[in-house]
Amino acid sequence: MGIITILWEKWREFVRDFSRITMAALIAPLMYLIVFGWGIRTTMNGMPYLNFLIPGVVALTTMNGSFNAIAQNLNVQRLYEKAFDQVIISPTPLWQFIAGQILAGALRGLYAGAIILLLVWPIETGLIFNGLSILILFLNGAVFSALGIVVSFLARNHADVPRFSNYFIMPMAYLCNTFFSTDRIPHGAREFIAALPLSQTSRMVRGIATKEPVNLLGILILLAYLVVLTGIGLYFVYKKKNL
Amino acid sequence: MIELFHLTKQFDQFTAVDAISLRIETGEFFGLLGPNGAGKTTTIGMLSTLLLPTSGEIRIDGELLTRKRQDLKRKVSVITQEYSMRQDMDMDEIMEYQGRLYFMPVRQIRARTEELFAFAGLTEHRRKTIRKLSGGMKRKLMVCRALLTEPEILLLDEPTAGMDAISRRQMWSLLRQLNEKGLTILLTTHYIEEAQSLCGRVALMNGGKLNEINTPSQLIQNLGAYAVDELLEDGIHSRYFHERAEAIARLSSLSGQCTLRDTTLEDVFVEQVGKRLS
Repeated sequence: MGIITILWEKWREFVRDFSRITMAALIAPLMYLIVFGWGIRTTMNGMPYLNFLIPGVVALTTMNGSFNAIAQNLNVQRLYEKAFDQVIISPTPLWQFIAGQILAGALRGLYAGAIILLLVWPIETGLIFNGLSILILFLNGAVFSALGIVVSFLARNHADVPRFSNYFIMPMAYLCNTFFSTDRIPHGAREFIAALPLSQTSRMVRGIATKEPVNLLGILILLAYLVVLTGIGLYFVYKKKNL
Repeated sequence: MIELFHLTKQFDQFTAVDAISLRIETGEFFGLLGPNGAGKTTTIGMLSTLLLPTSGEIRIDGELLTRKRQDLKRKVSVITQEYSMRQDMDMDEIMEYQGRLYFMPVRQIRARTEELFAFAGLTEHRRKTIRKLSGGMKRKLMVCRALLTEPEILLLDEPTAGMDAISRRQMWSLLRQLNEKGLTILLTTHYIEEAQSLCGRVALMNGGKLNEINTPSQLIQNLGAYAVDELLEDGIHSRYFHERAEAIARLSSLSGQCTLRDTTLEDVFVEQVGKRLS
């Protein structure tokens, strides 16, 4: 029931800010596709670069869509509007609040990813996006929503979330299997970067899209991230002394 | 019934609330009176579970209050000092969100919202987003939101701060009506007149400690119902008397500028903690 309440709240927000949310989800990925896909025409691993790029950009978009939908919003609600106080005061179980945020964030990520897919649909790429791709993208969104919750609780002021984005989200966007394969990264860093959630998502979604064999161990890795980050979020709402 | 047992809250080395114990009976209108920084808001913060105590405990109807106690939280509504509302929602959305957080059916939320908006004179503004509302309207909306869920206990943290005189009187009248209907109210304020006018009992709070708890009239009686102020070079010096005749005798004996007046709750506070309230 509490989860439905949070979904309702996020739905109202989505309806209210529909055009802004859609444009924000659209611009950066569109630029990537134009510049790297159509502008700088090349190949990657023997395939047209656009075919390599699209699954990565879709994964990247779900990451950004989910993280931004939760981190900045919750941070503002907690530090500036104090609207989060009413959630804590209310009888809604706080785990349902966290679950609702993660679910809503994952759906927002999927929405952003779907926009990109619609955008590239007319192009004859032969890429396949099926139910399993959607499940992986949903999981990716859930992981980054949970990360958004953690970041919003760690933030001490409004600038902290964009700062975190600059230090962590943006490097991930560029390095995690989006624009080039993590195989090209030197040893040591390669293993670390390949284990990050966006690398796993891009790898699996790309594998499905290009009909290559996919190691679904990545799903377990994403689930592990989700469990750990959700656990930290729950710790904050139940145990943090001063919210 | 609200009970605080040795409730303490520390922020690093600073003790904001220092081992206070208190019992507020069901249906009581209780005031926490103290200057800024006395620990009133921190106490409300712990009662609303926004802050967790460093030590001590809070019981509602004999049950230990924690963030997980849905049943206890259901009984309580809080009007915080800050507006604590999403700025991009309109009034109807604020009410619906609150009702949903308290598991009220949507039909009931809407019906009760109609009543409360009509009562508070907010009906014609209901489609305005929060950021477009005046401070007074936001305060009224916060009251409507708190009452939407028909709580048994209402916690109010400086509810009339920043209100004009007329709005303040309207708020007082509303709070009196709610208390007469059986609502338990805990009010924090630094307005003496507010505490004296509304509260059945008052606790004087300063430096995180409770100095004294009693009815406003008894606190005044204990000090002396009559005050004689004498203006000296270093300021006004007040003396208190239990009998009017004693006060008049004192007044007659003074040669400088002096006045006889009724003792107020502020006098009690000044005598106890040596600090002006506002």
